[in-house]
Amino acid sequence: MTPRSSDRPFLSLTAIGKSFGGVRALDDVSLDVSAGEIHCLAGENGSGKSTLIKVIAGVHRPDRGSIAIAGQPVASLTPISAVRQGVQVIYQDLSLFPNLTVAENLAINSLVEHRRTLVRWRDVRRTAEHALERLRVSIDLDRLVGDLPIAEKQLVAIARALLQDARLIVLDEPTTALTGVEVDALFALVRDLQQRGVAILFVTHKMREMLQAADRFTVLRNGRVVESGPAAEFDEARLTHAMTGRAIGETRFDGRVDASAPPRLRIRDLTGPILRGVTFDVRPGEIVGLTGLLGAGQGELAARVAGLETSGTGEIAVDGAPLPACTVRAAARAGIGYVPEDRLREGLFLDRSIADNANASSLRALTTGLRLLSTRRMRSQADRWIHDLGVKAPSIDAPVRQLSGGNQQRVVLARVLATRPKVLVLNGPTVGVDVGAKEEIHATIRQLAAGGLAVLIVSDDLPELVQSCSRVLVFRHGRVTAELGAAALTGDALQEQLSAAH
Amino acid sequence: MTSRVRRLFGRHEMVLLGVTVLLSIVIGALNPAFYSLQNAFDLLKTSVPLGILTIGLLVVLISGGIDISFPAIAVAGMYITCTLAIDVRSLDHLPALLAISTAIGLALGLFNAVLIHFFRLPALIVTLGTASVIRGALLEFVGTRTITNLPPSIIAFSRTNLFEATLANGASAALTVSILFFAGVAIAVALALRYTVIGRGAYAVGADLAAAERVGFNVRRIHLFVYGLMGALAGLVGIIHASIIRNANPLDLDGLELTVIAAAVIGGASITGGRGTVTGALLGVALMVIMDGSLVLVGLPSQWHQVFIGLVVLVSTSITALRTRSARAGEIAR
Amino acid sequence: MHVPRVVIAASLAAVCTLTACSRKAASSASVPTPAHRYTIATVGKVEGIAWFEDMKKGVQKFAADTGQEAFMQSPAQADGAQQVQIIENLIAQKVDAICVVPFSVEAVEPVLKKARDQGILVIAHEASSAQNADLIIEPFDNAAYGRHLMERLAQEMGGEGDYATFVGSLNSKSHTEWVDAGVAYQREKYPKMHDVADKIEDYEDQNKAYQKMKELLIAHPTLKGVQTSAMGTAAGAGLAVEERGLQKQVAIVGTSLASVSGQYIKSGSVRMISFWDPALAGYAMNKIAVMMLEGQKITAGTNLGLPGYESLVQSKDKPNLFFGSAWIDITKDNLDQYMQ
Repeated sequence: MTPRSSDRPFLSLTAIGKSFGGVRALDDVSLDVSAGEIHCLAGENGSGKSTLIKVIAGVHRPDRGSIAIAGQPVASLTPISAVRQGVQVIYQDLSLFPNLTVAENLAINSLVEHRRTLVRWRDVRRTAEHALERLRVSIDLDRLVGDLPIAEKQLVAIARALLQDARLIVLDEPTTALTGVEVDALFALVRDLQQRGVAILFVTHKMREMLQAADRFTVLRNGRVVESGPAAEFDEARLTHAMTGRAIGETRFDGRVDASAPPRLRIRDLTGPILRGVTFDVRPGEIVGLTGLLGAGQGELAARVAGLETSGTGEIAVDGAPLPACTVRAAARAGIGYVPEDRLREGLFLDRSIADNANASSLRALTTGLRLLSTRRMRSQADRWIHDLGVKAPSIDAPVRQLSGGNQQRVVLARVLATRPKVLVLNGPTVGVDVGAKEEIHATIRQLAAGGLAVLIVSDDLPELVQSCSRVLVFRHGRVTAELGAAALTGDALQEQLSAAH
Repeated sequence: MTSRVRRLFGRHEMVLLGVTVLLSIVIGALNPAFYSLQNAFDLLKTSVPLGILTIGLLVVLISGGIDISFPAIAVAGMYITCTLAIDVRSLDHLPALLAISTAIGLALGLFNAVLIHFFRLPALIVTLGTASVIRGALLEFVGTRTITNLPPSIIAFSRTNLFEATLANGASAALTVSILFFAGVAIAVALALRYTVIGRGAYAVGADLAAAERVGFNVRRIHLFVYGLMGALAGLVGIIHASIIRNANPLDLDGLELTVIAAAVIGGASITGGRGTVTGALLGVALMVIMDGSLVLVGLPSQWHQVFIGLVVLVSTSITALRTRSARAGEIAR
Repeated sequence: MHVPRVVIAASLAAVCTLTACSRKAASSASVPTPAHRYTIATVGKVEGIAWFEDMKKGVQKFAADTGQEAFMQSPAQADGAQQVQIIENLIAQKVDAICVVPFSVEAVEPVLKKARDQGILVIAHEASSAQNADLIIEPFDNAAYGRHLMERLAQEMGGEGDYATFVGSLNSKSHTEWVDAGVAYQREKYPKMHDVADKIEDYEDQNKAYQKMKELLIAHPTLKGVQTSAMGTAAGAGLAVEERGLQKQVAIVGTSLASVSGQYIKSGSVRMISFWDPALAGYAMNKIAVMMLEGQKITAGTNLGLPGYESLVQSKDKPNLFFGSAWIDITKDNLDQYMQ
C-alpha cells in the first residue's frame, strides 16, 4: 500500500453539471481525489458543496459530466453501487441509531448485507471489536450510541464506514459540534487513515481546519470551482478570497476600555455543579471571551449569568446591583441579554417573520396604553434593528427559515438588543456561520461594545476569540486557569493553554 | 449473570418492578385475599388478551408506528370465525378456528401495512380508518347479534385448565390453559426482537427511517412484519376472548386500544419509536391488571376507581420522565 | 340490546287481540280507516340495532292496526346532532306528532320546543327530565322497578346475608335510581341483609363485569346475592359464579335479556332477569299520540290496552310524566318461551 497520493485518482469527476428547476447548483465541476490524499472541499453555504456530495454518494444523478471510480467510468451511480465501490459518505447527522449499542451500530451493515435471518451476537461483537481495533480507539461496545458524546459517535460512524471497505470517505462538516481538542483527535485519525491509503474528502467551511489538515484544496463558489491546487499554494487570505469573492482583512479588537470605570458585570465566587469559585469583572465596552474544553465550566457560567442554570452559590451583579434571584426573569430585568448556541432549537420561531422574531422578547415595550400591541411600533423597531445589524432579507415579513445562518443569527441578536441590555452573553455566536458573515457579526459585536455594552463570548473558535476579544478567560475543571489579554492574546498562546488544560 | 439480569431489567424496568411490588404490598396489606391462589389465577387469566395485544403493539411502537385497529381486528376474527363454525360444523376444531381467526387478523394487519407503506399515510389515520371500516362491515355483512351458543370446541377450550383446585368454601380456582399462548407469544416475540435481523430492523426503522433505508434494511418487509404480526395476534386474541367471556359480540372490545397503549407505554415503549422491551411490556401489563383488578378487593368506592388508576399511571410514567429530564439537564449544563 | 323475536311475536299477538277486542268488530282483515288520519313520526337513537328495530316493529304494527300513518326514523349513527337534524326535517314536513327517544335530552330540548311552538304534539320516552314534551311515557317508575328487583333478590337470599350491586356507569341515571331504590327498600324491609359493595361500575362491558364479579367473590367469600343493571352484567357475573361452582350459594337478579343471560338462568347462577319491550313502548307512544290528538286526556289510571300499560301511574312531581309497570320477568320457569 502506498502512503500519500498515488498517481491515478480513486475518484474522478469531470465537468459535472446539475440543475434543480432551472437553478444551476453545479456547473462544470471537476474534482479528483486520490488514495491516501486528504482533499478539502471548501465553500460557503449555498456554494454547491452539498449537491456535490450527493452526486458522489449516488443520491443525485448529474445532468452533465462523467464519473470514474478507480479508473473505471461509472455510467450511473446509485447509493448502493457507490457503497459497493468503496465510497462512504458520513453526513452531519451520522446516520447512527441512538437506541442501539455501539457494537450493533458497527455491525448492522454486515447483518443486512449478508441477507441473514438470525443475528449471531458473538459475530456482532467480533465485528465491532475488529472495527474499533482498526481505528485504535476503545469505546464501550455495550453503551447505547445515543448516550455517547458527539466525538465518539463520529468515531463509530467512521469505524462503520471502514468496516465496509471504504476507499473514499467523505466527511461532511465533521467538526461542527466538536471542541478544539476533539477536532485535533479527529485529524489525527484522518491522517492515520490517509497513511493506510484511504482517500478522504473533507467538506468544511472552517478556515483553521482546512489549513491544518488538507493536502489539496478545491474551493466552490456559486456552483463552480474557483480555485484548486495543493495546500502549499494556499493561505488564509487566499482561501477567504476564493470562498467569499472578496478580501477580508485580519482585524483585531482595538476598542479602548476605561479601566477606571466601575464594572458593568461583576461575578463573585460563582460555584455550581461544575464551577468552583469563579470571580471576574467586565467593564463597559469590554469583550471577554470564555473558553475551555467541553464541560470545563464556561458553558455553565454563561447559563448562570443568563439565569438558565439555577443551582449554585455566588453573586452576579449588574452595575453594582446584585441579581435578586437566579432566574431568566431576574437576569432579563437586570439587563442581561442572552443569545443561545443552538439558535434553531432555542432561539427562533422558524416559520414566523423576521419582524415577529426580532420583537419576540420586547413585546411589553411595544404595547399601547390599552396593553395591546402596536403594529406600527413593532414594524419600526424591527426595521431599525434589521437595518442596523445588516440583515439581508427581501422584507421584514419574510419567514426566518428562508434566511442564511448568518442572517438568522443577526435576527436573534436583534431580538436580544431590542430589550436594550447592558450585558450581552453570546454562546457560540458564529457556529455554523460562513466566513464572510462571521466577519460581519464580529464587527457588529465590536460596535455594540463600543456603545458601552459589556459582552461575554463563549466560544471554542480560537481565531474568533483572538480577533474579537479584549481578553480571554480559559476554564479548566470549573476554575479560570488562565487570562490572556492584549499582546499575550494570540492563537498559539490560547492553543497552548487549552492543551495544558487537557 | 449480573449483566444478564441488567439486560433483562433495564433502569425503567427496575422502576416499574418497584412500583408494581409496592402496589402489591399495599393491596395485600389492605386485603390479604390478594395473595390467594384464586386471585393469582384470576389476574393471570385477565392478563392473557391484554398481554398478547400489548406485545403485538410493542413491536409496532418499536418500529415507530401505531395501530389502533387491533380491537376491531380481534372482534372481526372472533365473530367471523364463530359465525363460520356455527354454519359449517365440520370446522369446529380448536386449531382450525384459531388458524382461521389468526389468518383473518393477519390479512387485515397486512392491509394496514400496505396502506401505511405504499401510500405513505400516517399509521394513526390509516388504522383509525380501517378500524371503523372493519367494525362497520362486520355489522353490515356478517351480523349484529351476539353469539351466545359458541362452537363446542371453543367452550371446551374455555373449560380447559392447567391446574384446578377446590377451596374450603366450595369455590374452585383454576389456571386457564390460554396462559400458554401468552407465554408462547411473549417468548417468541422477545427472541424475534433480539435474535432476528427483522427484529433489529424494527428498532432501526423506529429510530431513524432514513438511516435504516441507507443501511439497506428492507423497510417494506419490516412494515409488513410489524402490522401483520399485530393483526395475527389480534385474531388469536379474538378466539381467546370469546372463550373467556363465552360469547361473540360484534360490538365488543371497544376502547381496549387505550388500555393496551397505556400498558405498552407504562412498560417503557416510546410512542416516537425505537424503544421498548418485552420485559417492560409484561411489567406494564402486570401493573395495569393488578391495579384494575384490585379495586373491589381493597373496597375502594366506585367513584374513586378512575382517580386511582389515573394516579398510578401518572406516578409510574412521571418517574421515568423525571429521570430523563434530569439526565438532559446534565447535558445542557456542559 | 335485543329482544328475541318470539317475545315480540307474543307481545304483538297480545296487542293484536287486545286492540281487536277494543275496536268493536272493525270490518274483518282489511286495514281499518280512522276518522282522521294523522301522521306520527317515531325517532329512535340509532338505526340498525336490535332494540330500535324491535321498536320499529311495534310502530309498524300500530300503523297496520289503526290505519294511521305511523313510521319510524332513526339516525344512521348514534349521534345527538343527527337526531336533531331528523326532528328538524319532520317539523318541516309538518307531521302531527313526534314520538322521540332522545339520544341526549339536553341536546333535543330546543328542537322539541320548536316543534311544539309549531303545533306539533311531542311524546317522549326514556326522558323523564325532558321539559319540552307534551307527555313523557316511561315503561315503569325507576324506583318501583328497583324495589321489584330487590324483593326478588331478598327472596332468593332468604332475607339475609351479604349482597352487592352493579351499575353500568355512575353517570347512568336510571341504573343508579334502580339500585338506590332497591337498597333503600332492603334497609327498610330486610334489615338482616348487608350491602357490602355499592354500585360497582362495569362500563356496560360484560367482560369487565365478569372480572369484577370474580374479584368480588374473592373479596367477600360470604356473598349471597347481586343486583345488576347493565344488559350484559348478569351474564358476566353469572359466568363468574358458574366457573367458581357457586350457583347454589350466590343469586343474581337484574336487568338483562334472555338472549344474553339465558344460559346462566338455565345453569342457575342467574335467578331472575327483567326487561321492558321496545315494541310495546313504541306502540304505547303512538297510541298516546293519537289519543291526545283526538282530544282525549291521559290521566292516572288510563288504560292503553297494552300489557304493562293497563293502568298508567302519574308522577307526583311532574303531571305530564306517566309510568306503566311494563317490566317482564324471566326465570327458569318461563325461560323457554323467551329463547329461540
